[in-house]
Amino acid sequence: MGDKTLETEDIPRSVINEDEPINKSLTMLPWDRFSNWIHCACVVTFDLELGQAMELIYPGHIKLTDKEKMNICYLSFPDSNSGCMGDTQFHFRIRQCPGRKPLVRAHSQYNRDCPVTLQLDDAHYYGFVYFRQTKDRSIRRGYFQKSVVLITKLPFIALFNQVISIIAPEYFDNGEPSLEAACHDIDQWPLPVPGDTLNLPIMGSVIQVRLSCRSDKLIGSVPPKYSQTHSIPAHSILPSIHEVDIYSSFLSILPHVQLLWELVLIGEPIVVMASSPTITCNTVQALVNMIAPLKFCSDFRPYFTIHDSEFREYTTKTQAPPPVILGVTNPFFAKTLQHWPHIIRIGEMGPLGSSPKLANKVKKAAALKTLDSNPGVYTRYKSFLTKDKAILKRLMKGSQLKRPVEAQNAILRRHLLELTHSFMIPLERYITSLMPLQRNISPHKGPPKLRPFETEKFIETLEQSGPQLTSGIKGDWEALYRRFFRSPNFEGWYYQRQKEVNQKLQLLHLEALSNANLSEWIADKEEVQIIDLILKIKDKLNFATHNHGLVGKESVSRLQKQLEDIVSTLPDDLQSVIKT
Amino acid sequence: MAAGPYNYSYIFKYIIIGDMGVGKSCLLHQFTEKKFMADCPHTIGVEFGTRIIEVASQKIKLQIWDTAGQERFRAVTRSYYRGAAGALMVYDITRRSTYNHLSSWLTDARNLTNPNTVIFLIGNKCDLDAQRDVTYEEAKQFAEENGLMFLECSAKTGENVEDAFLDTAKKIYQNIQDGSLDLNAAESGVQHKPATPRNPINTDQPPNKEGCAC
Repeated sequence: MGDKTLETEDIPRSVINEDEPINKSLTMLPWDRFSNWIHCACVVTFDLELGQAMELIYPGHIKLTDKEKMNICYLSFPDSNSGCMGDTQFHFRIRQCPGRKPLVRAHSQYNRDCPVTLQLDDAHYYGFVYFRQTKDRSIRRGYFQKSVVLITKLPFIALFNQVISIIAPEYFDNGEPSLEAACHDIDQWPLPVPGDTLNLPIMGSVIQVRLSCRSDKLIGSVPPKYSQTHSIPAHSILPSIHEVDIYSSFLSILPHVQLLWELVLIGEPIVVMASSPTITCNTVQALVNMIAPLKFCSDFRPYFTIHDSEFREYTTKTQAPPPVILGVTNPFFAKTLQHWPHIIRIGEMGPLGSSPKLANKVKKAAALKTLDSNPGVYTRYKSFLTKDKAILKRLMKGSQLKRPVEAQNAILRRHLLELTHSFMIPLERYITSLMPLQRNISPHKGPPKLRPFETEKFIETLEQSGPQLTSGIKGDWEALYRRFFRSPNFEGWYYQRQKEVNQKLQLLHLEALSNANLSEWIADKEEVQIIDLILKIKDKLNFATHNHGLVGKESVSRLQKQLEDIVSTLPDDLQSVIKT
Repeated sequence: MAAGPYNYSYIFKYIIIGDMGVGKSCLLHQFTEKKFMADCPHTIGVEFGTRIIEVASQKIKLQIWDTAGQERFRAVTRSYYRGAAGALMVYDITRRSTYNHLSSWLTDARNLTNPNTVIFLIGNKCDLDAQRDVTYEEAKQFAEENGLMFLECSAKTGENVEDAFLDTAKKIYQNIQDGSLDLNAAESGVQHKPATPRNPINTDQPPNKEGCAC
């Protein structure tokens, strides 16, 4: 199955650092490529004595902690499985136990170039589940209940849902060898490089996907370039690697979509209650995705059970609810989480295209007594912005005209994207004004830093250049910003911007240092200062190797030359040791 | 994120000396990274560590020279003493031989640095009290007789490591303040930032006036 041309094309580009000409065969071990995509595959079964039990972990050398195993076991089965005959697909997210190795290089390179919303994080795993329950008289209990699960750090919801839907039925039919074959296929996949269109062979078919990259235009998504050079023809083309159908997910609560956008934006605790994990995970994922291109920075659990190791932490009544989004199906939560400020109850979705029964009124949280309550959004929250009725009308009309769900979804997504953009543009503009000036960069001073963000100064800019420039939506934008500033989403966004700007400034500073006349500068300096300068230059060179590709080769070699020149001015006895 | 990396008023040069395997590099690593390095390779020649600390609201950059302890490097490492403002002399409390060699290390330190160099004696590995081979009292007395500052530390647990590095800096800073350390002298091991070309630096003047490079 392995496609040799793909391999040789893809590996030298990013796996092997040009500074480390290591033999390729030494750097790529079996399973290395597999683990660029997937941590492991698990089979979870229902044991009459033990309850959920891990039957198999593949590949066998992968270690999971007991806590991770326990979480995976419980989250791989529907909570109340009476209604889940047949096959059920969903995904979950768990905390990784601390003490693991940091991200592999392929992942940190991926993180550097992908959109921030699609970055993988060091602390969580996703689990993609395919659960099968069938009557089987040969089993003591009369039922066959088993799940195949893919554990991965990559947030490629659409891709892995597709992959597991191919792998799991094969496994149920043919057992372990099919899982082995599937994992072997994945071990042939090229590196996940943002911007690339990849052909991914899996069990005899090929999935084609394009990985989004940070420089993609945000509005008007990039049509994937299907190059003809791939030697394996694609059987199915995934339009997006990560997106869920937010239109269908929100169908029964569409009138509240803007209110939900506000809640997610300002990082409010939200719980989604539904009868199946498939619904909760789609809804939670749709919530998290609705503020794109802004990254949702709190925890979210597409499917959460009472057995989860964070159960106590998240359901405590001694503190305010944490700013997380949970998806639950167990009726027990209706009581445990009834103090939560925002509860979304989703009913079963009707057949596609039929006009949805809309829950039009926002309900007081107290009205929610049991899980049997009607679909709707239960909250006391008052939106800061006035509801945009035009988009709702458009969607309603589309639904009456039987417009395809894909088109309805695209309309809704675009609307939300524009809304988020209108909110973010003033912030981006303000950040730009905090940049230090080029002339403040001196080789003999530290690199200047981004000036601090001052809330009031920012608020002052709103009158002139607030969201009103790009959005017709009225309301108290200022108050919305003030709430946003207290949220993890603001913190995460600001941290990211700071990091980018400071990295840029480091680069400019490196340039300046490489161009400075250092020999003249050191002429009248003490040894301790010259050593200090040498250490600084070494630091900069270190930065250059760690940010491979960001720093121009010429600047690096100029800086290297500077270093050599300075070292050569030192007494002989010192020179020999400095060089090491 | 507030303090830029160059944002300091002084640079102090330290050297760390002592027998092989007493934990010099581990002490440095614990001080700069706040971590214990379990499998630390032998130092060859010298390794550098830096950290910016604060003494009397002055930011001070420590430039720490971590020397090789192996006897065969002894001749090479002698040149590192030049201009050190502080010397951390380390022995291992569980190995008497490393303590017995202190007088030889002290002779080097005295001969190769200037009279104002602050010498700090560190008894490392105090987490291994059960295997102790040198009592605290004995070493304390040795330190007093030779006018050294003294602490027992553990690079593994981090106990007293900060104090050893910081107390040394405080002592150096105090020497600058009371005038006993002459910044004009070459090889004082202290550099005032931003570097003014060899103008006499008046230490009576509060240094923060010319501090802060950025």
